[in-house]
Order: sequence, then structure tokens, then C-alpha cells
Amino acid sequence: MKPEDFGTKETNTWCPGCPNFGILQSAKEALAELANEGKLSVKDAALVVGIGCHAKIYDYLNLNGFNGLHGRVLPVCLGIKLGNPNLTVICFGGDGDTFDEGVSHFVHACRYNANITMMVHINQVFALTTGQATALTEKGFVDGSTPLGQGEKPINSLVLALELGATFVARGYALQVPHLKELMKKAIIHKGFSYIDILQPCIVYHKHSVPYLNKNIYKIEETHDAGNFSQALEKAREWDYSYEKDTKVPIGVFYQTQRPTFESQWPQLKQPWYTVDRKINWDNIIREFK
Amino acid sequence: MEKTILIGGEAGLGSAVTSHFIGKIFASLGYYVFNYRDYPSLIRGGHNFNILKISDKPVYSHEYKYDFILALDQKTIDIHKKDLKKGGLVFKSKEMEPKILANDVLIGLLFKHFGVNLDILFTASEKVFGKKADLIKKAIEDGYQSGSQKEPIRRGSGQEKYFISGTEGIGIGSIAAGLDVYLAYPMTPTTPLLTFFAKRQLENNILVFQPENEMAVINAALGASFAGAKAMVGTSGGGFALMTEGLSLAAMTELPLVIYLGQRPAPATGLATHTAQGDLKFALNAGHGEFLRVVLAPGDAKEAAVRTQEAFYLTNKYRIPVILLGDKHLAESNYTFDEIEKSVLTESRFILENPPQDYKSYKITENGISPRAVPGQGPIVLANSYEHNDYGHTIEDSAWAVKMQDKRFKKINYLKKEIGKLNPVSVYGRGSNLLISHGSTKGALLDALPQLKNFRFLQISYLKPFPAEMVSREIKKSKKVILVENSATGALADVIKEETGIVIKNKILKYDGRPFIPEDIIKSIKKIKR
Repeated sequence: MKPEDFGTKETNTWCPGCPNFGILQSAKEALAELANEGKLSVKDAALVVGIGCHAKIYDYLNLNGFNGLHGRVLPVCLGIKLGNPNLTVICFGGDGDTFDEGVSHFVHACRYNANITMMVHINQVFALTTGQATALTEKGFVDGSTPLGQGEKPINSLVLALELGATFVARGYALQVPHLKELMKKAIIHKGFSYIDILQPCIVYHKHSVPYLNKNIYKIEETHDAGNFSQALEKAREWDYSYEKDTKVPIGVFYQTQRPTFESQWPQLKQPWYTVDRKINWDNIIREFK
Repeated sequence: MEKTILIGGEAGLGSAVTSHFIGKIFASLGYYVFNYRDYPSLIRGGHNFNILKISDKPVYSHEYKYDFILALDQKTIDIHKKDLKKGGLVFKSKEMEPKILANDVLIGLLFKHFGVNLDILFTASEKVFGKKADLIKKAIEDGYQSGSQKEPIRRGSGQEKYFISGTEGIGIGSIAAGLDVYLAYPMTPTTPLLTFFAKRQLENNILVFQPENEMAVINAALGASFAGAKAMVGTSGGGFALMTEGLSLAAMTELPLVIYLGQRPAPATGLATHTAQGDLKFALNAGHGEFLRVVLAPGDAKEAAVRTQEAFYLTNKYRIPVILLGDKHLAESNYTFDEIEKSVLTESRFILENPPQDYKSYKITENGISPRAVPGQGPIVLANSYEHNDYGHTIEDSAWAVKMQDKRFKKINYLKKEIGKLNPVSVYGRGSNLLISHGSTKGALLDALPQLKNFRFLQISYLKPFPAEMVSREIKKSKKVILVENSATGALADVIKEETGIVIKNKILKYDGRPFIPEDIIKSIKKIKR
């Protein structure tokens, strides 16, 4: 398969030059390569998105898809796994979507360790509603709803994912497609909850992050031990999502480990439910009440 | 024969278990039983009680006058002795260790009084308590030997009865309908359904999971439904409030989902362990936007089993959300029946066997129902919360917006026709005056009816789509019309007015967290007559 095979005819409505195009391209390439390598059955893949700029990817990727509600991406993914454990579930969220509205679901998804891949478009603003601060926006950020400056420090999403038990934690950069594609492939193949923080600077409402990230991003692969949890935490704390002074911004796979998956706790979850042919025995069902 | 027994004690002493056990034995002897449960929201201490009404004629309600009080503590006697009937007896548990067996001694005493064979009690103990039965049997025997036979009873009328709660009715209805996945966050009074399914999940090949909150519950259920599972969620008013965004999502994505809403008094936390019917309008109107739904309210455990099967059938066939409206009184009361029948409706999943490659998730059809496929079958399957075209891709244009809203609403005519055949209303009794109600008030009304002159009772089981013509016809041929509802405002009267234009002035309402008993209704009718 070719990356183009994963495209659709829908008109793309992201802003011209939006780094989201890099995420879309990385996803198409990753999916095509996984399919060609025999590691992905395309008909058994399901895409889930929330609400925000990231969610438009639902219309641009030619996959089974569920365009859900703001913040509720992860419960839908879990439900899909409970409904059909054979599906490869890949989801995208926004940083507001995931760490404001949906943060409770993120906390628990890391604990549950369902075999799903979550990629969050981190642009540090609610862009589609004209640029309000999210839980990942840097302190001091001024916008329509925070004219006095954002008061709090941002959540460090990587530290959160690590501390809560995600079994694959990585960060990529939307403007480095070949590297991001590799991360996506690894995340999708990983058995368990895979989380990728994708830095996706908004070129309209958060312009200052583009030159900052271009200057400070570096790849950790050669020196970092992804099997070492404390090293992963240390790496995750190198950059705190703020822009006051130049700090190196690491990208790559921070941590990977194995743990039983969420769906493996039910011995009865063996096949898609729609293929279960139930023989209803009414007398058996009511026997205990007599 | 008609006896009313109160069993009371601190939480943890086993009044609910005792009452259920006694009820089940009477049911097995061929008697009709109604078991009412009253308890506050605490785990140890306080005062819990159950009221068992036992009769050789069908009985669906309780009363507050007792032939027997089985007291597991002194408080039970202090509170309830005033309501002992003339000649009534108090059986008090003796001081014993372990305290937890005291209730079994009372069981022995009671059945000795009725001259029921000890073997029957032993067999029942083994069936209910399994391995723990030896100690329990010993305690029952202790009580039995210390008691005396006063009123030996014969077997009740007819055969052994089914003894079943509203929760269990919904449970067996769901299993019979082919439930695959049940998701719920604990909330009284629907938690018993969560534990009912959890306990039976392996045996029945169903999956039960308790997610982090109600938003997760309904969104995960829709994910499971998208993947092809028959999914159901359960909650009470507060949890349903959190689910309403997801209810609207179910409607937009046209994914089948059964929502069990067990009401309790509100606003807010209300009376957590008590009963009410105050969420009728909430169930009818919850969710942003305009969309179709089914709301049905079973009146007892047997009806609950049938209506639940209808709920699964309708949600899967029409791809619209179905709300099963219950309450604490239905959920936690036990009823007896001679037979419990399975619904004749198909358990089909309504999923295409071989969807075509050019499959469209929201195909526009004559009846508005798009044939359903699921991911993994081959073609691309989409579910979209944003307005979409027939393929499922997001749209902004006005023509598609209208086309899709029309498509979703087109189902109503077919749905109404189908519901017309499912006994959306039932009329009981004869007379020119009419009592109207819905849900769990059915029990008290059925038991009041024989004591009322010239009254019929109209039970409305389908509240959406509303069987307006049938209701209107019944009202128009009646002289006096009275609404009965476990609420402060009588919301069903507003619903009837909206759907039929008819105004009902007389209302019998109760909103103290307790269900109606027949006496409440009889007394209130006398006042209205005056």
C-alpha cells in the first residue's frame, strides 16, 4: 500500500502551513509501512478522535472511524476494545481535549493499559475556538480569556503519562515527519497503552513556539535507555512546556515496558461480540428464581 | 391467608437477607409474596427494615400493619410495635454469638409457628448459602425447636412461584435479549444490576466493567456498540445527568444503546436509598438537540423482563437510544409470578452479514434506518458526532444538514406503528373513573383497585413515543380522571397535556421518598370525591 491510499477526497480545512499536515503525512506513511510489513490489517483498524483542529484528521484518513465528543476519545477507544478486541485502535486528541476536558480519562487510560495508541496534537491552545489557553499552555500566555496572562504552570503531559503507568511514552515533532512516522509505527506495534506527545505549534495562535522548537528540539535515541524509568522521567522533565528561556526539548521514545493489557482481564473477551451466536435458553435464565 | 411480616435491625444484621429468604420459602410453598425494602444510606448501624406481604392471592404491594415483627434489635420493636395488628406477635432475637446468626433463629421460630417442615428450611439454606449453610442450619434449628406451632399452613394456591426483583427482571431480560457488554458506575438504586451481571458474567458470556465515571461509561458503551456489541449502561439521576452529552452522541451517531435509569428522590443527592418518579421529564427531554428516543417504564419485575427485551430490540432495529425508566421501588422489591415469559421479539443484532464494499454508514433509506455494518467486516464504517453526509464524513452545508435530520426523524412513523403492537398501555379493572400512572406505582394501584368502586387503572408503559391516541381514548370515556405519581408535581399530567391536549386536574402525589401503598391511594381518592 502507498501512503496516498490512506487519504480521502475530503477538502482539508486546516490552515495552510499547519503542522497538522505533518502529522497526517506521518500517519499515512506509518500505516502504509505497517500494512506492507504485515503488521497491520487495515480493515481491522479503527480511528477515534475528539473535537478540535486535531479531530479533522477523521475526515482525511481512510479508516474506520469514530468522530466523538470533546475530551471523550479514550473511553470510546476502551469501548471499542471491549466490543472487538481484534481491532487496532488508534486515536488522536488535542491537548485541551485530553488534558482539560478529558483528563480523568487520560489518568485512567494510563492505568488500564488497553492495547491502544494515543497521539495528542500539542499546540498549547484551543485553536478552533480562537486561541484560549489549555492545561499545557505556558504561564503568562495572553489571549482573549486570559488578558492578564495565564496564571498557572502547564501540566507536563509526558511526566503524567509516565507516572500513571503508560507502557509506551514518546514525543515527536509534527515538522519532523520521518522521525514521527517511526514513533507512530513503534507505538502502534506496542502491546499496551502507547502515548505520543506530538508537538504541533499553532501557526496562528501560538506562533512563538515554531522558532523555539526548531532551535531546541533534539533526538534522544542514541543516548537514552528507554527501559529505564527514572531516566525517562528525568528526560521528560528537561523541558516544562514553557518558552521563557532556551531549554533543550527532547523527542523520541522515552519509555517502553510490558504489562498485561486491560482487555486480557476478561477471559470471555475472545472474539468480536457481533460474531458470537448466542443460544438463548430461557428456562436456564429464569431457573434461579424458583 | 394473608400475613404481613416486618423484619428489622441495624444495617449488617441481615434484615434484607432474612426477608428474602422467608419470601422465597413462601413462594416455593405456592404463596404470593411482595417484599419491600427500606434502608438508609449507611453500612453498619442505623435501622433497616423489610416488609413481607404473603397471600394466597396475587399481591404487589406492602402495608404498614404487621402480623409479625421479627426484631433483630430493640430499636425495631421501639419503632414498629405501634403498628402491630391486634393479636400480632413479636419475635425477638436472643443474645448470641456470633450475632450474625440471630436472624436464622428468627427464621426457625417463624416457620415453626406456621408448621413448615424443617427439611424445607434446610434445603433452602443449602441452596442459598452453600458452604456456609451448616452454621445457619444449626441456628435455624435452634429457633425451630424453641418455638411452637400455632397456625399450621397448607401449601398455597397452585404451583411454586417465581420470586424476583425488578433488578433481576431487567437482568434476565437483558441476557435473553443477547446483552454483550454492561458498563456502569455504582449508584443506588442501579448498583444491584451491576453486581447481578458481574456475578453472572462468565456463565452468561457477557462482559462487565466499571469505568472511571459516567461520561466514560456512556462513551465506552458507544465505542462497544460501534464495534458491534449489544451494550447497556445503568445509572440514577445524577449519573444520567453526566451522561446526557453521550445520549445526544448516541442519537447523532445512530449507535444502539440501552440506558437503564433507576430513579431516586432528587434534586442533587436527594434521598439516596429511597424512591421517586421525579425524573420522567428528564428522561423524556435529556440531551442537547432534537432527536428520537424511546422511554419505557415497566411496572413490576415480570414486565421489566419483557420491556428490557423490547428495549434491546428497538435500539438495535431503529438505531436510536432507549431509556429504561425504573426506580428504587421497582429495583429493590421482590415480586412473585406463576410464570415469566420470554418476549417473542427477535434477538437479532440487525448487523449486515456481508456489507457491500460501497457501504454507507448513514445511507438514506425509505424508513430512515441505515443498514448497519461494523468495523472489521471489510468496508469503512464511520460514526460521526458532527453532522455528516451518508458516508459519515463531516459536512457543513445546509442541504446535507436538513437531509440527515429528516432521515433520523423519518424513523418515527415506523417506530410508532411497531410500538402500537407492544402493548404501550394496559387497562386494569372496570369502571367509569380512571386512575393513570406509570412505572412502579403499578403494584399499589393493582392492589388498591379491588377495594375501589367504579375505577379502571391505565398504566402507560411507553412514555416516548407517547401512545397519545390510546391514552386520549381512555381518558375521554372516563368520568373522573386521577393521576397517581411518586413525585411532587405529577409530571405525567404535563406529558399527557402536551401529547393529547387533555388537562388532568386531580393528582395523587407522594414525594417523601417512599412508595405508595394501596391505603394511600384509597384515602386520597376519598378526599378527591368529597
